Amino acid sequence: MLILGPLLILLFTYFLLKFGDQGKNSLRVLIADPANLFDNKITSHPSEAVEYLFYDTYLDYEEFRDGNRFKEFDAFVEINEKILQNKTVKLFYRESPSLDIKMKIKFELERRTEERLIAEFTDLSIDRFRQLKQPLNVDFINVYDPKNQADNNRGWVGIFFGSLILFFIGLFGMTILRSTSKDKSNRVVEVILASVRSSDLMLGKIIGIGLSALVQLIIWSIFVVIGLVVFKEFIFTDIFDPSNYEGIQYAADIKNDILLNASSSRYNAFIDLIFHRINYAVILPVFFIFFLVSYFFYAAFFMAIGATSGSESDGQQFVIPIFCLLLLSFYAGFVAMYYPDSFLATFFAYFPFTAAMTVLVNVSTASSASGLVQVLFVFLILLVHAFIFLKIAARLVKNGILNSGHRLNLSTIWLWLKKS
Amino acid sequence: MGYKFSLELIFNFTRMIAISHVSKSFNRKAALDDVSLTIESGQIYGLLGPNGAGKTTLIRIINQIIQADQGSIQVDGKFLTENHWKDFGYLPEERGLYKAMCVSDMLVFIACLRGLTRHDARINVNHWLAKFDISSWSKTKIESLSKGMAQKVQFIAAVVHQPTYLILDEPLSGFDPINVDLILSELKAMKAEGKTIILSTHNMKSVEEICDQVGLLHKSRLIVEDTVHKLRENQRRGEFVVRFSGNMIALANALWIEFELLETLELGDNRYQIIVKQRGERSFEDLASNLMGKIKLESIAERLPSMQEVFLGLIAQEEEKNEE
Repeated sequence: MLILGPLLILLFTYFLLKFGDQGKNSLRVLIADPANLFDNKITSHPSEAVEYLFYDTYLDYEEFRDGNRFKEFDAFVEINEKILQNKTVKLFYRESPSLDIKMKIKFELERRTEERLIAEFTDLSIDRFRQLKQPLNVDFINVYDPKNQADNNRGWVGIFFGSLILFFIGLFGMTILRSTSKDKSNRVVEVILASVRSSDLMLGKIIGIGLSALVQLIIWSIFVVIGLVVFKEFIFTDIFDPSNYEGIQYAADIKNDILLNASSSRYNAFIDLIFHRINYAVILPVFFIFFLVSYFFYAAFFMAIGATSGSESDGQQFVIPIFCLLLLSFYAGFVAMYYPDSFLATFFAYFPFTAAMTVLVNVSTASSASGLVQVLFVFLILLVHAFIFLKIAARLVKNGILNSGHRLNLSTIWLWLKKS
Repeated sequence: MGYKFSLELIFNFTRMIAISHVSKSFNRKAALDDVSLTIESGQIYGLLGPNGAGKTTLIRIINQIIQADQGSIQVDGKFLTENHWKDFGYLPEERGLYKAMCVSDMLVFIACLRGLTRHDARINVNHWLAKFDISSWSKTKIESLSKGMAQKVQFIAAVVHQPTYLILDEPLSGFDPINVDLILSELKAMKAEGKTIILSTHNMKSVEEICDQVGLLHKSRLIVEDTVHKLRENQRRGEFVVRFSGNMIALANALWIEFELLETLELGDNRYQIIVKQRGERSFEDLASNLMGKIKLESIAERLPSMQEVFLGLIAQEEEKNEE
């Protein structure tokens, strides 16, 4: 898993970059326009990506699909006679086009239809109409964040780092649980407890497994960073160069600012996020600190369950609520990202089970609620809770670890909790 | 030299484990009830009792694995603390080792937990592996050892840090007769070195063989504590083993009604071994004088009860007392 984990991440990233916009990237399109509404014209900017040919007879999709003479075409567009009224066009394809090609065809059909509408219903020139027809740009601006520093994209970074914490807690928490119950079942625990305190055994196990988690995390990070650099420098050099992007080039050509912005932001969002918008100097230390404290906090639960379970398979019913709380963190992350100033987001920030994810989202979005004071306060709360639950777990370990063969239930836990 | 020797004597004299009024209960059920006993230095102390008597609980308390509800334990005149961990070696009844570890790593790990440096631990581990002629297992994983092999490793784990006090819970279970002999020899050698050994076992033959003193726990209470010899003597039943040559009619006449013939074993060539039991206040001397001249005596010896019989007898007495 040490090597396989980061390799899988890189493989996933590779496929995302390689086939992220899967679909046919060049198309021969037949436009069936029996009424000749488009006048055998569709664009003044022909491209290699889409080649249009016109067909002035009615064509149905079965004929297109099965007819030998249409085999050379990848798609056909049915221009119905009432297109100016119903504003509906059907495109039948053999193989799904890529998103960019779809956008391009849609855009070109829209513009050609628009030209026909202008000619049919107005006295304006096409250029004049388009000068007048500018969409209303409505900006939603937070008065506390007028420069929109707390954008949602950066919230995803927080969710990513938070998920990493949850993933490692889940993975290594279960390792703690299994290791403890295995020590019980093979009786080695009695030999160990004749040399060390049960609380030392507990901390040793948590720290030991935690360190192995940390080492694994660092190795994963190194592999993934190296892999991303290799992708950027050697494999996907084009993909990281916006000038090579068909959508942007096309949008630039037709000077449509809206489309340009949309394409550019869609394309650049990920790259821009990873390489420019994340404040690694802030988020990485917060990530590591919260990783450690959250790990200790959750580890106390896994250790307690492992130590009190009657057999290696026992205690599953107590693991499920913990995993539910781990999953709640994801919800908390989304709440913190989309409603950073809500009561729920504030509650999740101070709730120890969801604190790490919420704080990481808040820090990554630099939302109004995430001052340094808040981060420190949440850290303190989490630290205190980790300490309290480790103490509780230590008591359960002390009283439960030598008992086996029973079925773990709440009354047993309560009994061992009361016992000094 | 003489000064050093006398100091060691004094030191040894003060070394002992004193258990005073120890009680422990689980879920309001008493596992130990006011148990007090003393284990002198250099002794092999047999902790006996039927299953559920409280032996393992007491052993766990001495090992500080669990704490007593009441009472105290002193070692060498000082209350038992975590500082004593390195002085104790423990072989639990239910053996446990990390199965994925190799033998030497496991033993070094245990020795380090008991306070040895890694270097010293390695030296000791190699010494013990060589002593038990199992050096070739050094890199073998525990999971691939047979039960008997794992038992040996577990025994080494208990003694590898050269503890002053050794607590062994059923140390002979799982061993073949050859290895039982090996372990008993080791225990005797350790005793000769001045180590104090607490032995909990159901193997009464080994108790007879190596224990100096025993404590018998029954239903969470200590019902008797004495030397093996005294316990056997206290339970004597006036039985004698006689070897002779002659005829059985002459023997029967000689015994008359004062002794009861329990067993007869024909040894061949008109030789016999019999077991007789005295009636009333008859003594060894009475038996000897009765037999003398009537048969050709080879030997007469009093037959003391085995520890097995002592054990069963004491438990039966205790049960009777409880019933009354």
